[in-house]
Amino acid sequence: MNSFRKDWCWHLLTALVLVGMGYGLWVATGKVDYTWRWNRVPQYFVYHNEDAKRVPYDGRVVEIETAGDTTTVTVRDRFDEEETYRIDSDTLRVSENEDLFAGDHIGSVFNWQVGPLLHGLWVTLWISFVASIIGLVIGLMTGLCRIGRNVTLRQLSTLYVELIRGTPLLVQIFIVYFFFGTVLNIDRIAAGICALAIFAGAYVAEIIRAGIQSIPRGQMEAAKSLGMTTTQAMVHIILPQAFKRTLPPLAGQFISLIKDSSLVSVIAITDLTKSGREVITSTFATFEIWFVVALLYFLLTASLSQVIAWVERRLAISD
Amino acid sequence: MIKTIDLKKTFIGRGQTVHAVDGVSTHIKPGEVVVVIGPSGSGKSTYLRCLNGLEELTSGHIYIDGVDLAHRKTDLNKIRREVGMVFQQFNLFPHKTVIENLVLAQKVVRKRSTADAEKKARALLSKVGIAEKEQEYPIRLSGGQQQRVAIARALAMDPKVMLFDEPTSALDPEMVGEVLEVMKQLAREGMTMVVVTHEMGFAREVADRVLFMDHGKLVEEGTPEHFFTAPREERARLFLKQVL
Ligand SMILES: Nc1ncnc2c1ncn2[C@@H]1O[C@H](COP(=O)(O)OP(=O)(O)OP(=O)(O)O)[C@@H](O)[C@H]1O
Ligand SMILES: [Mg+2]
Repeated sequence: MNSFRKDWCWHLLTALVLVGMGYGLWVATGKVDYTWRWNRVPQYFVYHNEDAKRVPYDGRVVEIETAGDTTTVTVRDRFDEEETYRIDSDTLRVSENEDLFAGDHIGSVFNWQVGPLLHGLWVTLWISFVASIIGLVIGLMTGLCRIGRNVTLRQLSTLYVELIRGTPLLVQIFIVYFFFGTVLNIDRIAAGICALAIFAGAYVAEIIRAGIQSIPRGQMEAAKSLGMTTTQAMVHIILPQAFKRTLPPLAGQFISLIKDSSLVSVIAITDLTKSGREVITSTFATFEIWFVVALLYFLLTASLSQVIAWVERRLAISD
Repeated sequence: MIKTIDLKKTFIGRGQTVHAVDGVSTHIKPGEVVVVIGPSGSGKSTYLRCLNGLEELTSGHIYIDGVDLAHRKTDLNKIRREVGMVFQQFNLFPHKTVIENLVLAQKVVRKRSTADAEKKARALLSKVGIAEKEQEYPIRLSGGQQQRVAIARALAMDPKVMLFDEPTSALDPEMVGEVLEVMKQLAREGMTMVVVTHEMGFAREVADRVLFMDHGKLVEEGTPEHFFTAPREERARLFLKQVL
């Protein structure tokens, strides 16, 4: 609080700079004659969907029963078969004993539907999550192989890490989708997740290797001097300590992964980015949608940062 | 108890060969306290680390309770639980509390129940005089306290031999005493101990035998009275002149 009072003029300057930049943007868009239609955006998160009920054949209404918000309409059609329709009471359009023609509108049911942006957000979220988990497992194993004694495992893991780190993710996605996807017959979602996981795994491996190597040698020696096997020492002594040290870089990697996952939109996975593009084709609210998409990515990454910061505070009790 | 025959350990690195331990043969009997002294770089630590298999031998044999460490089929982990080791840098597990430091290996290696392990741990902690710190993390203890925890941790495995590698060298002078006191008590209880140290007072008072190493070789060995008053070897005499 004290520092806030001391630095108030700097806070004011920050605010002024931001306001100035906002004003600049506003002036700039005024020049290109763009009409902002922010009111169109919310319907792409959730919308109120109308499901209109119509009779398939000619017939007659035999009964209307209203119970609170829903009304049940019973229609006897020309084959003498009875059919009941459930609709929202305030949308009722027919009365009892009315004759109906095929296609007549009896009433509607309204319900809330998830819009494309929210759906895309969800796809991005779970694709990144699954890819992170698999990437963590791959990375852990590769990282251990890289510092292990077995020469073949060491060389293979090094090759994997170097290949992945030396090629663009976009190209890897194409290779996994078009080559492995075709050869092994896996669908686009699985291919996208695989590509992301393999990509993340290489970076996680390097982080884990560095983390393990940063633990003083004395820790392994102490564990061994107590009779622990290498595996036991790894599990109980080295990895828990390494995990704590690697948490910040790992978090950074997973945050990157959320952002990198936007590239899977190129193989027609409807993640947040792809959804954004689709919405734009139907609304032409290009600026608004891209800003909103950016904000949604930011919300995802920012909440992940918060979670990690909380875990870090919890783990800090032993230092 | 421990028998080493023509023990050799050679490090090869950066184009040069270091004979860290160069043909040491000796026999340490049960209940004996052996103090190893010698100038810096003479191979004392390396010798000690060979005794519990932390360093692989280049040649020679080590028999612990009749089992040959150098034999291919020997399970080193099984040997190590009978040989406790205390390090210069304590090497406590920083992510575990004091009591967890003592309990972990008992459970993982000795397969003891949590209750048994904790009981043993508490008994040992009060023996080394820090029972009240059992829930602390090592980083919050003084050096002397950490080293006593490290000794208790090694003892929790019920070792037959305890190895100490300069246990007091990383300590502030005022804390050296408390650690030596614990070690003296151990010696009185009949523990077999091999101690590398620069604490000549400790050697004189507690040791049954003193080994003097130089350049990887066991130059002289004998009782403390003999060694500190009338060493045969010129090198030992020079060394004593420097440290006393
Ligand atoms: N891992 C290693 N790789 C290469 N050389 C080593 C290694 N460990 C020890 N040495 C060398 O072996 C020799 C003996 O080292 P050692 O640590 O056993 O001596 P020391 O008697 O314990 O010395 P100090 O009193 O300083 O602890 C030294 O010359 C050292 O440089
Ligand atoms: Mg040493």
